[in-house]
Amino acid sequence: MVQFLSDVLIRTVDLALIAVGLSCVYSLIRFPNIALVQYAVAGSFLALLLQGAGLPLPVAGLLACLLVGGLAVLLNVTVFERLLASGSAIAMVGSLAVTMILSAVFLVVFGPDSRRFDLDSHPVIRVLDARLTVHQLTAVGLTAGAVIVLTLLLFRTTLGRSMRATATNRVLAAATGIDARLITNSVVFLSGVLAALGGIGLALKGEMNIQLGMDVLLPVFAAAILGGLGNALGAVAGAVIIATAETLVTNVNLGPLVGEPLLFLPASYATAMSFLILVAALLVRPHGLFVSEVKRV
Amino acid sequence: MFEFLIHVSTMACLFGLLALSLNLQVGFAGLVNFGHIALFGCGTYGAAIAFANQWGPLAGLLLGGAAAALLALAFARLGRNLGADYWGIATLSIAEILRTFATNEQWLTGGAQGIHGLPMLFGSLPTPWGPLATLALCAVLLAACWALCQRLVNGRYGLALKLLREEPQLASSLGYDLAALRRTPLVISGLIAAVAGFLFAHYATFVGPDQLYSAETFLIWSMLIVGGLGNNLGAVAGAFLMQFLLAYVPFVKDALGLPSEFVAAMRLTLVGGGLLAFLLWRTQGLIPERIGGRHA
Repeated sequence: MVQFLSDVLIRTVDLALIAVGLSCVYSLIRFPNIALVQYAVAGSFLALLLQGAGLPLPVAGLLACLLVGGLAVLLNVTVFERLLASGSAIAMVGSLAVTMILSAVFLVVFGPDSRRFDLDSHPVIRVLDARLTVHQLTAVGLTAGAVIVLTLLLFRTTLGRSMRATATNRVLAAATGIDARLITNSVVFLSGVLAALGGIGLALKGEMNIQLGMDVLLPVFAAAILGGLGNALGAVAGAVIIATAETLVTNVNLGPLVGEPLLFLPASYATAMSFLILVAALLVRPHGLFVSEVKRV
Repeated sequence: MFEFLIHVSTMACLFGLLALSLNLQVGFAGLVNFGHIALFGCGTYGAAIAFANQWGPLAGLLLGGAAAALLALAFARLGRNLGADYWGIATLSIAEILRTFATNEQWLTGGAQGIHGLPMLFGSLPTPWGPLATLALCAVLLAACWALCQRLVNGRYGLALKLLREEPQLASSLGYDLAALRRTPLVISGLIAAVAGFLFAHYATFVGPDQLYSAETFLIWSMLIVGGLGNNLGAVAGAFLMQFLLAYVPFVKDALGLPSEFVAAMRLTLVGGGLLAFLLWRTQGLIPERIGGRHA
């Protein structure tokens, strides 16, 4: 049971930060930015590069996050703002195009092989009954820390209040003297930092390669949409739901249902399960579980 | 070289069919479908499953068509109350679920190895004529589908579709049944995509889950955006242009002596870069949509 819970926790951590970043930026720029999953890959690769250049990993990671945040702002100003003028669907196709171009860049710069951070190997430690590695625990700590900082930022600072005001009613916020453009770009920067941190967390626990972005694309979107796109903390809840479903599907013995002693679904059905939940949830709640807003047509 | 040209032309015709069918959804009805390759997959697996069970090719075509129509109805049902971007993600998810299913259900689909040995169309003809006959068949079908799509979008029905795309609330207030208006183009384009899939399965003689990666859907998208959304001639032109460009990337690699990663990276750059460049600088594509046009 503890092992199951820890599996869920680890998977939640995989998805949560990127989903939160996606959700945050959606609240101000109303299109689902697919390129965000590539910002995560960019974060882990940049951290690897900087570590290779001799920086200690924490410094390299921090620097990578800031750089990816800058990249996100740059792309937003040069590409997405212009595309959004033609509609959210066009902007989403545009973010897909950016995703492909970033993939091409990664492929040329880093090659198709998997890489790892240069980390000391630690023995597996037992927490209660679950087996965990130090790096997994680090990733959990990073995610929890980032979510707490984000929550404080959103609900305890002037910047956060301005963000929420702009997200709720841009015109009204502008009338009270909030610089919507500055706020938007701060949120875009923040989403880039969150995605990069999420990517580094993913790479801490295993390997990084150019497929990483596409692999987490749908689970991350499923988490963010379940949480109600635009609701940052909802995305964390969405990630928990997706992680639970995926872990359940691969860990539950379906044998008794069909009269055989043992029957486990192949592991690749885990992700299919999260997509299925997404589709089912959208049938019932077209805008996610934690959103009360209604859009017509 | 001549045979290679025939091969690329055949593939261009097949992708032309796919681009036409996606254009019916995206270009005219404004349905942002990111899972289009799954409708194609219904056609390929229809052919493959019929072949594996020795039911004959006609059964394969019917099976593929029926599966594609059902899937299109499922897409349409999902689209009833979803915003365009949510629907795009939902269709992408469904396509990935089906690909996962095709990869894992060995008894039905041959699993990751797929199903080999489907008979070539016109396989009995000698070498230059068999492929040429296939190409001719694909070209004729492409022309027929083009005529069908033109008929569909040029009349009052086409206007209704464009109204659905531009002003759904107005369409609803004028008494159009939006759900039905979404359903028909989806089913028709699903059938066209399934026919393309059936032809492809018998042309490639192999059907596997690798043919159904969502990257293929994005390739069709870039053909549409480059050629011109909402213009059937543009869709076909985009398909031919992209297909020929991509086919000659390996030659560039060899000529310049570049590593093999170059081919994959160059494909991504061409598809993504083409998409982005046209979205930014020439949104209407090479052949713009005709605004106004004939009223039937």
